[in-house]
Amino acid sequence: MNGRAVAASLALRTVTGLTFLFIAAPLVVTMALSISDTRFVAFPPKGFTLSWFGNVVANPDFRSSLYYSLWLAASATAGALLLGMPAALALVRFQVKGSAALRSLLLSPLVFPVLITGLALLQLFSMMGWQVVWRNLLIAHILVTFPYVVRTVSASLILADVTLEEAARTLGASRWRAFVRVTLPQIAPGVVAGALFAFMVSFDNFPVSMWLADAANDPMPMFIYRHATGVFDPSVAATSTLMIGLAIVVVLAIERLVGLKRAMGI
Amino acid sequence: MTVSATALASPLTAARAALRRPAPSLRDWAGWLLLLPAVAFLLAFFVLPAVTLFAYSILTQHADGTVSLPVTFNHFSHFFRESVYSHVLFDTLKMALATAALAILLGYPVALAMLRASPLGMRLMTIMLIAPLIVSVVVRTYGWQLILANSRSGVLNWILMSLGIIDHPLRILYTQAAVVIASLHVFFPMMVLPLVSALAKIDPDVENAARTLGAGAWSTFRRVSLPLSLPGLAVGFTLVFSLTASSYVTPAILGGTNAQMLGNLIEQQITAVYDWPFGATVAVVLVATVLAMNFVSGWIFERRRA
Repeated sequence: MNGRAVAASLALRTVTGLTFLFIAAPLVVTMALSISDTRFVAFPPKGFTLSWFGNVVANPDFRSSLYYSLWLAASATAGALLLGMPAALALVRFQVKGSAALRSLLLSPLVFPVLITGLALLQLFSMMGWQVVWRNLLIAHILVTFPYVVRTVSASLILADVTLEEAARTLGASRWRAFVRVTLPQIAPGVVAGALFAFMVSFDNFPVSMWLADAANDPMPMFIYRHATGVFDPSVAATSTLMIGLAIVVVLAIERLVGLKRAMGI
Repeated sequence: MTVSATALASPLTAARAALRRPAPSLRDWAGWLLLLPAVAFLLAFFVLPAVTLFAYSILTQHADGTVSLPVTFNHFSHFFRESVYSHVLFDTLKMALATAALAILLGYPVALAMLRASPLGMRLMTIMLIAPLIVSVVVRTYGWQLILANSRSGVLNWILMSLGIIDHPLRILYTQAAVVIASLHVFFPMMVLPLVSALAKIDPDVENAARTLGAGAWSTFRRVSLPLSLPGLAVGFTLVFSLTASSYVTPAILGGTNAQMLGNLIEQQITAVYDWPFGATVAVVLVATVLAMNFVSGWIFERRRA
């Protein structure tokens, strides 16, 4: 390598390193300030205390928000799997006329501004007089999560080996049995990754919930949003740190199960 | 959390489709049956509400709050005539374009570094890139609020003042710069992931040939890698632009009064003014902006490639 190539490689590494610093910064700062023994969030953190976490966990509003979000995300994921898995199967394994167009239609909520999706649903629900907030939120969350299931499940169906299923069929297995015993185990990691993705998309969602939630149905992101703009002690940082911790666990789980690169489609 | 839709393209699929036997009509019906719940759900809760919302933008709101005929284009002329509103559109375009441009500038070095790293390095960088993506945008924006705070106890100000680079705290929070910085952070992976997959598809022999023929690192990148990665660039640019332009949380928390976007205007019209037709009008402007940029970037990058 000549001097210029070395310089280019050095520049590349520097820019990349700084960019990853930039990516980590807001998460690291939030975590650092969540253990700060000060009355207001201020940098640098002073002392060490876990009392902010104690405060957060003891707060009944936090607990009900957390349980609500966990329930909503789990239910939305179940709904997304029920709608998304059969659809993915039909798109990849059955010959449906216009399946390319149907695929774009099913994935279209991913490219449409989510904020507008939520607004349109608010309008629909108020026109229909549907006032059951949890049901409205659940419908909205299934809508924004099931395209992720369609995408990850159809990706793993495409990678699954069809010849194995055909071999099982040749050896006398019924179509259903061949699918359950041969294909399903092959796509299982993809299904789990899709489910985890759907869960986190729902758990993190703000732009749909902001239109449909109310005081009794208060998902976590809404709770944090209110506190981020109105509370100045490190308890918000502690709440955020708990959310970051959950995200890290899920990311590592997806990495172990299918590999993030495959789950994200690179 | 949108990711490149091109991910599923695979030569195997095409090959298998060609090998498939002609299907009996029973399988056709079974396929439709499996698709039916998802398609019906989508039509009822996505297509229909979106069409209804857009229809509101050309209907009239009466004194009692009901919305109906006659058809009018007054909301649109109101939007474009009042500088308060058209200014929000202009600011939205400006901030979304700045974010997408910065994402391109930083995205290439990161994507190239990821591809040149060892398998372990690639894994670690992928985790570092994607982990923040799964953290709620509200949490990430809160983190930026702490970093960019205008007081001396803001992280950035504290560091710069401790290093003696500045004497007085910078005022970044509640400006468009704050919104661009945080949006870049939130949507950066959307640029890097398509770039990595586009750059990974380039045959290394092509780049090696350029080097052998005497091209330096920079001209190999500019004359070979960059043109061949344009499809990934187009996807990344469109995603980052569209997602930034349809933000709500980031400008609401970090933007103050000077950096509001169309999403914030919509929220204000619906929840504070109760003007549904005008809120719907701004929603149409937002969706049209995003679609227009999709077409423009597709057109530019396709033409460059040809």
